[in-house]
Amino acid sequence: MTTTNAEAALAPASKSIRSISSGDTESARARVGRALQHGGWFVAPFLVLFALFVIWPVLRGVYLSFTDANVSGVGANFVGWDNYREAFDDPLVWDSLGHSAYFTLLVVPCITVLAFLMAMLAHHIERAKWLWRLCFFAPFLLPSTVASNLWQWLFNPGTGMVNHVLGIDTPWLTDKSTAMLAVVITTLWWTVGFSFLLYLAALQTIPDHLYEAAKLDGANAWHRMVHITVPMLRNITGLVIALQILASLQVFDQAVVIYDFGPGPEESTRTFVQYTLEEGFTSYRVGYASAISIIFFVIIAAVALGRMWLLRKREEGVR
Amino acid sequence: MTATQIRVKTGPVGAGKVRKPWTAGQIVLTVVGVAVSAVWVAPLAWALFTSLKSETEAVEVPPHWLPKVWTAQAWKAIFETGNITNWFVNSLVVSVCVTVVVLLVSALAGYGFARTEFRGKGALMGLVMAGLMVSPAVLGVPLFSTVQSMGMVDTYWGMILPQCAPAAMVYILYKFFQGIPRELEEAAFIDGAGRWRVFFTIIVPLSRPSLSAVGIFTFIASWNNFLWPYMVTNNPDLMTMPNGIATVMNSYGIQWAQLMAGGLMAGLPLIIVFVFFQRQIVSGVAHTGLAGQ
Amino acid sequence: MGRPGLNRRQLITGLGGLAVAGSFGFAALGSGADALASSAASRVRYWNLFSGGDGSNMIAMLDAFRKANSGIAVKDATLQWGNPYYTKLAMAAAGSRAPDLAVSHLGRVAGFAPGRLLDPWDTDLLAKFGVREQDFNPALWKRAVIDGKLYALPLDIHVQLNFYRKDVLTKAGLLGDDGLIVPIASTKEWFDALKAAKKATKNGLQTVGIHANDQNFAWWFFVAFYTQLGGTYFNDAMTEVTFDEDKATQVLEFLRQHVTDGYATAGAADAEQFMNGSPFTWEGNWSVPVYSGAKIEYGAAPLPPVFGKQATHAESHSFVLPHQSDRGGSSNEGAHRLAAYIVKNALAWAAGGHIPAYTPTLGSAAYKKLTPQNEYVSAMDHQATEPKAWFSGSTGTLAARIGPVVASSTLGSAKPAAAARRMKNVLETLLAMKNPMDGRTAAQGGAA
Repeated sequence: MTTTNAEAALAPASKSIRSISSGDTESARARVGRALQHGGWFVAPFLVLFALFVIWPVLRGVYLSFTDANVSGVGANFVGWDNYREAFDDPLVWDSLGHSAYFTLLVVPCITVLAFLMAMLAHHIERAKWLWRLCFFAPFLLPSTVASNLWQWLFNPGTGMVNHVLGIDTPWLTDKSTAMLAVVITTLWWTVGFSFLLYLAALQTIPDHLYEAAKLDGANAWHRMVHITVPMLRNITGLVIALQILASLQVFDQAVVIYDFGPGPEESTRTFVQYTLEEGFTSYRVGYASAISIIFFVIIAAVALGRMWLLRKREEGVR
Repeated sequence: MTATQIRVKTGPVGAGKVRKPWTAGQIVLTVVGVAVSAVWVAPLAWALFTSLKSETEAVEVPPHWLPKVWTAQAWKAIFETGNITNWFVNSLVVSVCVTVVVLLVSALAGYGFARTEFRGKGALMGLVMAGLMVSPAVLGVPLFSTVQSMGMVDTYWGMILPQCAPAAMVYILYKFFQGIPRELEEAAFIDGAGRWRVFFTIIVPLSRPSLSAVGIFTFIASWNNFLWPYMVTNNPDLMTMPNGIATVMNSYGIQWAQLMAGGLMAGLPLIIVFVFFQRQIVSGVAHTGLAGQ
Repeated sequence: MGRPGLNRRQLITGLGGLAVAGSFGFAALGSGADALASSAASRVRYWNLFSGGDGSNMIAMLDAFRKANSGIAVKDATLQWGNPYYTKLAMAAAGSRAPDLAVSHLGRVAGFAPGRLLDPWDTDLLAKFGVREQDFNPALWKRAVIDGKLYALPLDIHVQLNFYRKDVLTKAGLLGDDGLIVPIASTKEWFDALKAAKKATKNGLQTVGIHANDQNFAWWFFVAFYTQLGGTYFNDAMTEVTFDEDKATQVLEFLRQHVTDGYATAGAADAEQFMNGSPFTWEGNWSVPVYSGAKIEYGAAPLPPVFGKQATHAESHSFVLPHQSDRGGSSNEGAHRLAAYIVKNALAWAAGGHIPAYTPTLGSAAYKKLTPQNEYVSAMDHQATEPKAWFSGSTGTLAARIGPVVASSTLGSAKPAAAARRMKNVLETLLAMKNPMDGRTAAQGGAA
């Protein structure tokens, strides 16, 4: 799902634990201090799961990437850097990475603008606010596979509604020039609700008096949007874009369901995640699939760290 | 930003509300809103209407919106022939277990990181932050290999446990717990309460909105999760709704009316819950998302 | 919160608690909702990939089996055809939670690591249920035997066919006195036939459906015509690529010409167009029940021997025993009994278009009466098949990598000569590649 990483909250952790401020007597202070010692037990259950299902798989992935392990789970031989060498020469690695990047490039700006506009609508219409929220957000509550099946059906050339309503005859799902576009449209419809809600929540935090003051100065609605709303939402826009980039690079569900687990017309929609799974589970090459997963992990980490770096730089700029 | 500030307002409360007049701007906005909503809801309506057609009417060219003959055959068929009731139960079992485990461990861990001291805390917190970058999409194959070596392929636990270590939820609750005034706890400590008692009797009740936000978001994510259950389950009896619908076919080929009925069956529970718990869900999603700021 | 009153909240809490308790109970059971409902003496879990007409025929055969063997509960599941199916099957076998019986394309068996992901058939047990080696086409049986053991029990042979509308061909003067399509023996004759047929076709319909943008069909058709030219892929020792780029280019240009001359429309719904009156379509024989059901006048011949020699692409469905560490007992016996039953009672299956592998059925009067099956049954004598190697078989690694190359040439995004070169590259890469299941290349006999 796109949003499992949506929470990828990548701001730097603050390590500060404020010192105890109250505590009049020495013994009270000691008691509080004692109570807060050895808090490791609180963290232990999570850490066990985290170690087993996050840390260990990463280490195992690194190990597997240097072997020729297969899907049966037994009999892996060490092969050195062979997998990585092969990956850099493998055109499908670059093709599929290109498809994921292309998808990201199309989805992120569209979703950001659309989510903002829809939030503005829902925020400013005074009546039946619940209704707009429900309509815009409902698709997000569908499983990705259901949303994708639905659009596969809508894009169907003869029996689908898209061509019928628009009065056109586009072979959406069989032409490589529109194939990825169909995935993008599906994704917009399905996931815009999430970013919409973020914007809506943020809009409600903008103090009214800013608008009142601007009105007094004679600013019209357009000016108020450009000079107050958009700048006030800068942080949230940064967040929406970052979350969408990370989620979009990891696109998998929509593309495989719409194209029946195949690579799309002339292999135009095979995404990177899809390729790693094809190598791992269809070609049974778990070692090689691990190597390209690690490469992908490095790319994702670079994007995430890039955002952190940008945030920090901006904070410094503000100071 | 703290949790309470970003709760989405859900319109005016109380009866003494005065209706604002229809201004020109409001009319235009409402018309645009209706139009966009129509576009957004149309696919869902199309799915619903298709599910109420016969299979032959569903594939008629050109397509038409409303069934000429209304029939529940597709709905009957999915209950009679398919695995769909199995999948529904599986989805429920997996999502409920994931939600409960996630709430428990991430609340404890969030509190542990926010309010207690132990050796290596800073390093561990850094590790958890790094864990935000790991997902089944990025490292699915090694994760599968790990779960396989534990003998949990094609089991409930194989589906559930790997979804139970979400660093993001720990981080969100960690931020929230940091915002709770220390004085509340300290008074209790001075009275001699242990930290577990403080956690369950003071912290947990105070954090209900945050916990429900995390719980709701986890449930939605888990109910709709496709990728991981797809990787780790092969036995059609064990599949969850999203996975079963995508990979298991009816022997009679793609029957669109049935496919749409099955899809609605997977999506409707959350949509109905949404209608009733709109405020909690909206704030839950906004909250978990915004915590990234 | 709080306003709705305590009752509702208590109710929700109660229900929630129940759901949580129930869920953990289920998860602890571990094996799914289905585990609660097994009572029959022996259970056979059976996976297949048949949908459409094949799917309903398979269900009818299963129902007949169930009626005749009430002591055996057959639990069947149909997974999506193609890669998801084989992926799921391999992973279930790797995870030791495999079904008792499954369907596999014969070409995929070599790559399925017999001995590791597949268990061999017990031929004595099969004989007890009435299925013996002499009842099968020897060539077919040989393909199913690896390292001296039988790993696949063939059910059928399925071929690619040239479906034609008799009504349109009559108008175009392409139907012989016997009511069958006139013989076609060269590319010129074929395109002349298309030209004549196009004139007799309703406006807005293509002349022939060749699944131009389907990578699987693209590859199957290529294999057929390339075999007609006598082309080969590898030498016998599997050490060298013998792929002939010139012959391949010839085939690719032939396929491409259908699009450039306007006889085939890329992306058209081929089957629907055929049913609406398009004169030709190339399809697998599994479309027979679809077209028969549509009540149109049609015939089906093997793909035309435009390069002189008869050859059409053929694959086989077969039954396999996915690896189970504790295979044996009544489920295993039930699997043997079920597979033998279906192989022996495959007339309904043959009605679905497939050529039965069980020769007694093939020789029966009832089969000989089936049309258009009797028109193309000869196709089994000149099968064009993929090379036998670990990477071959329906939707296997070879098809997945080489199919898109063929399609890109037919659709015009790559020149035929360049595509032929790329095809050779794919073959070279695969020949050098080790079978991930046993670490051996095709030359080292990697599980082949």
